[in-house]
Amino acid sequence: MIDKYVYIIVALLPLSALMLVFQTNPYHALVIRAILGAIAALVYIVLGAADVALTEALVGTMLAVTLYVVAVRSSLVLRLGILKGDGKTNSFTELIASLRKVINRHYLRLELIEYPDFLTLKQALVEREVHAICSQQDYSEPQNQNSATGIEIEQTYHTAIRVRRLFEILQTELTLPETTLTYVSVFNREDKH
Amino acid sequence: MDSILIAMILALLIPIYEAWQDDDIWQKMLAFASIATKTSIMMLVISVLRDDWSIGVVAVIILCVGNAGLMLLAHLIKRINET
Amino acid sequence: MIDILSYSLMVIGIIFWFWGTLPLIGERSVLFKLHSLSVADTLGSMTIILGLLLKIPSEWSLLLLAIITLAIWNTVLGYVIAYCSIDEEIKNKKIN
Repeated sequence: MIDKYVYIIVALLPLSALMLVFQTNPYHALVIRAILGAIAALVYIVLGAADVALTEALVGTMLAVTLYVVAVRSSLVLRLGILKGDGKTNSFTELIASLRKVINRHYLRLELIEYPDFLTLKQALVEREVHAICSQQDYSEPQNQNSATGIEIEQTYHTAIRVRRLFEILQTELTLPETTLTYVSVFNREDKH
Repeated sequence: MDSILIAMILALLIPIYEAWQDDDIWQKMLAFASIATKTSIMMLVISVLRDDWSIGVVAVIILCVGNAGLMLLAHLIKRINET
Repeated sequence: MIDILSYSLMVIGIIFWFWGTLPLIGERSVLFKLHSLSVADTLGSMTIILGLLLKIPSEWSLLLLAIITLAIWNTVLGYVIAYCSIDEEIKNKKIN
């Protein structure tokens, strides 16, 4: 009763599922998830379940993949707080470019957020608005102490990161003399979210 | 009729292989476009083969929606690569 | 007679499919692959549906809808994918 082609079509499903499982890039995996959805709809049709196939195509392929692309895009991001005037200097753009290269290897995006002065920048890191801050002043040192020797260390930047894993990645892969990396643990406050 | 379907499955395997081995996301999207069209045509063939009206209706809807979803996905992926 | 005609139409459609899909494997640019894919795939699919239409004329409304959908959506889809992927090609050329 069951025809031969049914077996072949059903065998396509684990094939594409394996392709999906072994894909590391999240965006590529989403496209393959869409392919898996199309093949799954075909399998359901072959087995005679028209309603399940319609649901798979509408929800599984279209809605889920679209929502997941938006979700992955907004969660796989490194928000870096910088000072307002910093963006124009030459060494800084070089630093940002190499940072972006390291981050892209881990499928992350870099988002720059500008702050008017150092205090608000520091505040943003403590308030968890950004994942890391990058400026010429050290995070741990007080502000006035640094300004005395400001001209001497003009070319070095200090990057403070509050996410442990990001710090580990950057420490092993980012080899630049222009910046120093420090890990800052921001205390868990009572409101967890 | 069976042999026609098996030939279609063979044609379907080509874009699946392409999606597996290529690393560029747009090539994967092309393979997905090819797969979406091919699977819905296969559904139509099966509906005619079994003389089942409801499967045919679902196949045409999937043909429409799959293409529309593909366009949506293409625009989203373009936005990702922009910033 | 009609049976033979419909079968031969379907076989021609499948040949079109292979012809359009085989260039997908290989190191050509996206636009080249898109061209062969959109032309040969759509034509092949339409030929297959035409063959089905000859075989079972009672489902003509559904199959006609499928042909119209294919003709319109696949054309628009080809345009959209080309528009979305062309940005990246230009950017890559600038970097290289």
